Amino acid sequence: MARVSRSLAWREAAAGYFFIVPWIIGFVVFTFGPMIASLYYSFTEYNIITPPKWVGLANYARVFSGVPEFLLTGDVRQLKDPIFWKSLQVTLYFAALSLPLNLLCSFSLAILLNQKIFGLRIWRTIYFLPSIISGVAVTLLWLRILNPRMGILNPFLRDVLGIANPPGWLQDPNWAIPALVLMGLWGVGGSMIIYLAGLQGIPTDLYDAAHVDGANRWQTFWSVTFPMMTPVLFYNLVLGLIGTFQYFTEVYVATGGSGGPQRATMFYNLYLYQNAFNYFEMGYASTMAWILFVIVLLLTTLIFRSSEAWVYYEGQLRGK
Amino acid sequence: MSFLRWRATLLLLVCTLLLAACGATNSQPAASAEKTKVIIFVGFGTGTDPDQVSAQEALAKKFNDSHDNITVEFMIVPHDQATERYLAMVAGDNAPQLVGPLGVSTVAQFFDQWEDVTPYIEKDGYDLSDFYGPSVTLNKYPTLNAGLPLGLYPSFLFYNKDAFDAAGLPYPTHDYNDKTWDITALENVATQLTLDANGNTATSADFDATNIKQWGYADTWTDFRGQMTMFGAPNKGRPASADYKTAQVNSAEWKYGAKWLHSGVHEKHFMPDAAGQGAIDSASGDPFGGGHVAMWYSHTWYMSEGLNGLPFKFDIAPLFYNQKGERIARVHADLFTMPKNAKNKDAAWEVMKWLVAPEQIIDVCAVYGCLPARKSVEELFKAKLKERFPTIDHGVIFQSIEYLDDPNHESYVPDWSKVNDALNNTLTTIYTEPSADTDALLDTTNQDVQTIFDDYWAKNP
Repeated sequence: MARVSRSLAWREAAAGYFFIVPWIIGFVVFTFGPMIASLYYSFTEYNIITPPKWVGLANYARVFSGVPEFLLTGDVRQLKDPIFWKSLQVTLYFAALSLPLNLLCSFSLAILLNQKIFGLRIWRTIYFLPSIISGVAVTLLWLRILNPRMGILNPFLRDVLGIANPPGWLQDPNWAIPALVLMGLWGVGGSMIIYLAGLQGIPTDLYDAAHVDGANRWQTFWSVTFPMMTPVLFYNLVLGLIGTFQYFTEVYVATGGSGGPQRATMFYNLYLYQNAFNYFEMGYASTMAWILFVIVLLLTTLIFRSSEAWVYYEGQLRGK
Repeated sequence: MSFLRWRATLLLLVCTLLLAACGATNSQPAASAEKTKVIIFVGFGTGTDPDQVSAQEALAKKFNDSHDNITVEFMIVPHDQATERYLAMVAGDNAPQLVGPLGVSTVAQFFDQWEDVTPYIEKDGYDLSDFYGPSVTLNKYPTLNAGLPLGLYPSFLFYNKDAFDAAGLPYPTHDYNDKTWDITALENVATQLTLDANGNTATSADFDATNIKQWGYADTWTDFRGQMTMFGAPNKGRPASADYKTAQVNSAEWKYGAKWLHSGVHEKHFMPDAAGQGAIDSASGDPFGGGHVAMWYSHTWYMSEGLNGLPFKFDIAPLFYNQKGERIARVHADLFTMPKNAKNKDAAWEVMKWLVAPEQIIDVCAVYGCLPARKSVEELFKAKLKERFPTIDHGVIFQSIEYLDDPNHESYVPDWSKVNDALNNTLTTIYTEPSADTDALLDTTNQDVQTIFDDYWAKNP
């Protein structure tokens, strides 16, 4: 009997492995293999055309060399590669602005579109639609909207809101990142749908109980809706974080790959791309890719650790 | 019975296919199997439009029909994939035999990838005297000659005659010896041609600089080196000393040029700033053809794409004399190169010679829109130009070659792309920052470029 059961288990396992073999092959060949290759290249000088030359930690040293001197003097010229640090700063600034704003907007929108209002499905479709348009098309559209001379946004700010000197947006180094953040809000429909699904999954008996207990709308939101939505918030936060560190297409199209004006939009991935395919420094680009991997891993770990304090899973007991 | 018939039919079919296959092999001329293949990689520059593709196929057919030992095939790659595809081919030991047409900048970026054709020129005693002199030197780099000249793209001013008529201004001179056509004259004319939405010129007290509809002058389809070369620094368009070890970005001439550009954009407003350029790009993509710019400084390559069906009268005029009383007009140039690690180089050299031979060069240049680099076909080419652009002064085009920038603004410097990015970062600051101190900016950029050179020479002593 035990032998039959073992045989059955083995056959089940074999069938499972058989079905995942295509994925495993794809993962090893197209993801894990290149990852290992890029780890090796990160210790080499490699211009793609000639064979890689082992340089040990030189690429990593290039990134970090001059950092102590910079920290002591504040002089950017002490850094061996100041553009690397500029790109990291730009990416973090974008993440700090974009992530909370995206979470807030998409969550708020989902709450609004979870109400019983006229034409609900049409509204949901309208808000979701932009998120399925490609990044390139959206960027080209926003380039027109944000143009300080002929775009439609600045006349609105000037003539309707009375702002005398509206921003230069993508032409102004101080406003370029906020402009990209604004562009990003266009696509909140994607995460809105996820929140919407989460909102509709909250058991109605919890709301009934809150109602019976005399909770007002704010108390209901804060004590029922928000805790029940924290797993979805957590999910969107992690994906959003990874997404902001992979930000590339929009800025590449908007700035023609230059990261201008004045390197105000020199995102990490854009600089990585420049090193790989403009400067043919594939070794250094691989180093950057691994540093990015470590940064994202650390931040994601931090979020996962923090989740114990603020993410509530129904049915899960605290401390267990 | 029917089964037997089916088997017989199948057998007959197999035999027929086998015979047909053998017959096909036997019918090929024995020599064709021994033909050396020359792949011409097209995609780094022009040559990928559908009409260009068919024209290149016709060129290949012409070559293949007239040669028994070599066969040519154009490999057309979309521009945005060209670098990756080319690098993949080279890395895979499958480099194409020829690459082109390449501009000076692309040759410079892949500088150490090209075969030096000097030994081939010497071996064949190849006569270079028919080429315009500068077109030969443009292909020469410190240690190699990258290829035979194919075409040139001289530069000059395109001007909107209707805009001049409306302003009541005389057209710019076409006389290259007229020294009154200088940077001050250009500035005066351009300011009077700059109009806001209410029709006020930039000279008027009522002029609204935030709502400009027509700029007097623009030179925006180039980079920082391209914009600075006309100001006559000893190094012209090259931001480096002759030995490529010292950055020369902050010369008096480039500082003058940067200041002139900044003032023209932010104070006198006759040139579009970054927002204006963005608006032009969004509106029409073409500053001159869209009617946004009265005088447009560009190259012959603009003619084929920009001068078709314009709703206003236009002509061309020489570039103005600079602040030193010199005229330095940019030039672009195209050629085919041979990758160092390509196979069948002798055959590639034969094809390279064929492409630029007097019998073909006009046809080849017609595909890519360049001015043939051979003097002997100048008259023939002029006739073709006149046929296509009957209303413009063709003399302006050819005389411009005498004033070209050498060292060229696209020429080689170590770590070409990094240097160019550093310089173009400065250019965007000039275009976007009304309060920029251009002298200080160029001093800082000079330090940045020097760091790039120092790093390069430390790695490549």
